[in-house]
Amino acid sequence: MSESSIARDAILHAVRAAQPPSVALPEVQTVLAVRARPVGDPVARFTAAAQHAGARVLSSPRDAVPDLIASTFPNTGRADSELFVCEGVLGVVENGAIWLSESRLERRAALFLATHVVVLLDTSALVEDLHAAYAQLDIASEVFGMFMAGPSKTADIEQSLVVGAQGPKGLTIVLRTPSDSDSASGSSSRPPATRATP
Amino acid sequence: MTNDVIDHATAASQFIADEPRTDWHDAALWWVREKRDRAASELPEWEALRELASGVKEHTLTHLADYLERFETEATRHDIVVHWARDADEHNRTVHAILAAAGATRLVKSKSMLTEECHLNPYLIARGISVIDTDLGERIVQLRGEAPSHIVLPAIHLRKEDVGDTFHEHLGTPAGLTDPDALTAVAREHLRGHFLSADAALTGANFLIAETGGVVVCTNEGNADLGMALAPVHIVSVGIEKVIPAVEHLPVFLQLLARSATGQPLTVYTSHMHGPRDGQRMHVVLVDNGRSAQLGRPDFWRSLKCIRCGACMNTCPIYRRSGGHSYGSTVPGPIGSVLTPGLDLEKYAALPFASTLCGSCTAVCPVKIDLDAQLYRWRQLITDSDVAVRGRAHSMGVAGAVLGRPWLFHAIGSIARLALRLMPRRLARATAGVWSRSRELPPPPAQSFHAWYRASRRELS
Amino acid sequence: MRSVALFVPCYVDQFYPRAAIAALQVLERLHIEVVVPASAACCGQPLANAGYERRGTRALDTFIDTFASYDRIVVLSGSCAMHVRTHAGEHNADGAVVASRTTEFCAFLHDEVGLPAVATLSSTCDMRIGLHIGCHGLRGLGLARASELQVPGFNKVRALLQTVRGVTFADLQRPDECCGFGGTFSVTEPAISAKMGRDRLRDYAADAAQAIVSTDMSCLMHLDGLARRDGVSLPMMHVAEVLNGGIAA
Repeated sequence: MSESSIARDAILHAVRAAQPPSVALPEVQTVLAVRARPVGDPVARFTAAAQHAGARVLSSPRDAVPDLIASTFPNTGRADSELFVCEGVLGVVENGAIWLSESRLERRAALFLATHVVVLLDTSALVEDLHAAYAQLDIASEVFGMFMAGPSKTADIEQSLVVGAQGPKGLTIVLRTPSDSDSASGSSSRPPATRATP
Repeated sequence: MTNDVIDHATAASQFIADEPRTDWHDAALWWVREKRDRAASELPEWEALRELASGVKEHTLTHLADYLERFETEATRHDIVVHWARDADEHNRTVHAILAAAGATRLVKSKSMLTEECHLNPYLIARGISVIDTDLGERIVQLRGEAPSHIVLPAIHLRKEDVGDTFHEHLGTPAGLTDPDALTAVAREHLRGHFLSADAALTGANFLIAETGGVVVCTNEGNADLGMALAPVHIVSVGIEKVIPAVEHLPVFLQLLARSATGQPLTVYTSHMHGPRDGQRMHVVLVDNGRSAQLGRPDFWRSLKCIRCGACMNTCPIYRRSGGHSYGSTVPGPIGSVLTPGLDLEKYAALPFASTLCGSCTAVCPVKIDLDAQLYRWRQLITDSDVAVRGRAHSMGVAGAVLGRPWLFHAIGSIARLALRLMPRRLARATAGVWSRSRELPPPPAQSFHAWYRASRRELS
Repeated sequence: MRSVALFVPCYVDQFYPRAAIAALQVLERLHIEVVVPASAACCGQPLANAGYERRGTRALDTFIDTFASYDRIVVLSGSCAMHVRTHAGEHNADGAVVASRTTEFCAFLHDEVGLPAVATLSSTCDMRIGLHIGCHGLRGLGLARASELQVPGFNKVRALLQTVRGVTFADLQRPDECCGFGGTFSVTEPAISAKMGRDRLRDYAADAAQAIVSTDMSCLMHLDGLARRDGVSLPMMHVAEVLNGGIAA
């Protein structure tokens, strides 16, 4: 037997011997039931939460996004060290976080090495809170997934907030609204998702 | 760290001797507490969340072995290699063996209180491994040869001038550079070099998901993610109590964790790993190191619910005025004072007494650990334990001399009152000893309440 | 007529008879029959919090025996009341009964006598008061909303004092920060204990408190000792003394 498997059996044995009498698993539903009903426009509330986390939030019809990025970052190359643009999977209204996953990132490291990150997110991909987000996501289907809320931060020196601690110094979220051509087909005009039914 | 017995009162009096610094430390942590209050107030369901989180943790701990096995099965399915370590030494040997097998000699670490607890750094450095702590606060204290003084804010005991001096000495910044933005920028460039050249990254974990075999890491700086995204080997060192049953429980804890820790709705980066990236090897080392023993203590097992937010430190009026180092343990403050006596009762006997039992820690705790009740229970066990520990408890001052012996107080009450009236102030002070070092004794009344009551009621009848 | 047994803790008995006299008189003015059992000296709390619960067992047993025959036991201290309520039940069946019948003075007035009745005391106190609710009364007995909790605000002690004409309240930066007394903590950790007390006094002074009024004389013994050492004259009173209208600074 390897040392680790001896250790494994010893730990599991010790834990089983030590476990206090069973406590039942409470239902997460108990807390969802007492949640206050959110009020106000989800896009506006997401924007406020993301700004509070230090992100810049822009809005653009889908087909105008390339021009918007070009005009917002006129002198920036798309090299890892400067600007990194990626697609967000969903956004959380409650805290302004965006879910990013491995399959939608060209190279994960660039997300942290770049000086400035731009995340593109459809307004239709907003959910109210983390409960709704996890209900909708299948987080185990990819090796990496992440909620990102604002640019990298630290306050380790005298509690002074410094943005751009080790990762990006800036985060811009571009909220994509349907283009005229999209709404003609009606494909992207559904309202923001609320809690997904489990 | 030495094996010396911790004398919190002496360490605290040394910290407090620099009163302006103490006031700054107190105010800085109170500010974090106030941010926590505002963040908590934004969720109308806050108290229900605490109750739920507490219940989920208690359930998990009472079925911990099953959940650990489930985690192992699922993680293995995701090509994560799961290791088990009974104690600190076994943990350190396991990490070293993983590094040696990969031929790795340059390790970047993100925040991991567990590796502090296991003293991993000196173990690896002695074996030729370069170990760089990459969390800014941890890097600062590593350069200074200190331990973190707080589990979330490792360098909260330092002023920017201290950091400036440290960076001047070690990183070549100009003397007198104290601007936090400038110092952070220097650290960023310094650490970038280490990230790019590292051949292994070690992180802690905030949560292990039994249902999926996933690992969740929460940071603000992005240092853990830089390490994980770049290095060919990723090692996760994690205590066995960090497992939660299912994905649906993550939002419960995430909502509580960042709000309690720093007042943020969510940490900047909340990363979920379900396996190594292409070409990477990923290891999880599950560490006991006294946790199963704590689980077996009926009065103290609930301390394992802790999600390491540090809120009990920020709110603790003693921690704020004595600094984390006064506790002499990896986890300081109220939670540290209920965890450490289980590891070494004699060494940490003073810590459960470093509290007024004001209960603020219990009320602030996002998973409702009954910290003040546990401190109370440890006190009973310490004074009733073997001679060495008891001697330690007795030596902590004149605990029993004045206020600890009310029956004596009562019996000599009238004499004491007379003495206080007749004795010179200096003599009275000596009598009351430590109390009078900084406080006057109460002015003695003419008679006790009971004496007055007997006299006045006799007159009435 | 309603009847209660009043428990006056040892240090109040010895050092602050004025607080106990005021409490007795307040209760009697509210037409409550008050019994003060002679054999009650100590509930064992100071010893227990110092880690010597087992040596305080006899004190708590005596407390239980003394008060077992009373329907309501009113304690003139938040920390003693909390100790009895938390630990008496661990002793015996009588202890469980005594624990359930034990309440603290302000809680009793607020919850059982009621504010309208308390207002009939018609006391006057033209002072800016710094309120200090002992931590055990605050968090252990729920005399007010603890600042950590996200529940609707309430403050039973303040409500009682608001029945007194002329009273205003100093606003504190940290409304429920511990004063640093902590029983034996005051002598085992003297440096921090004194620092906490002085910080608390500074908070009261910052909003011009003219007196500190508390549920617990033990906290006040500590704060008063510090203030007088620093040459500061600041009246410190139990809530009962303010309700009783007579303020002898």
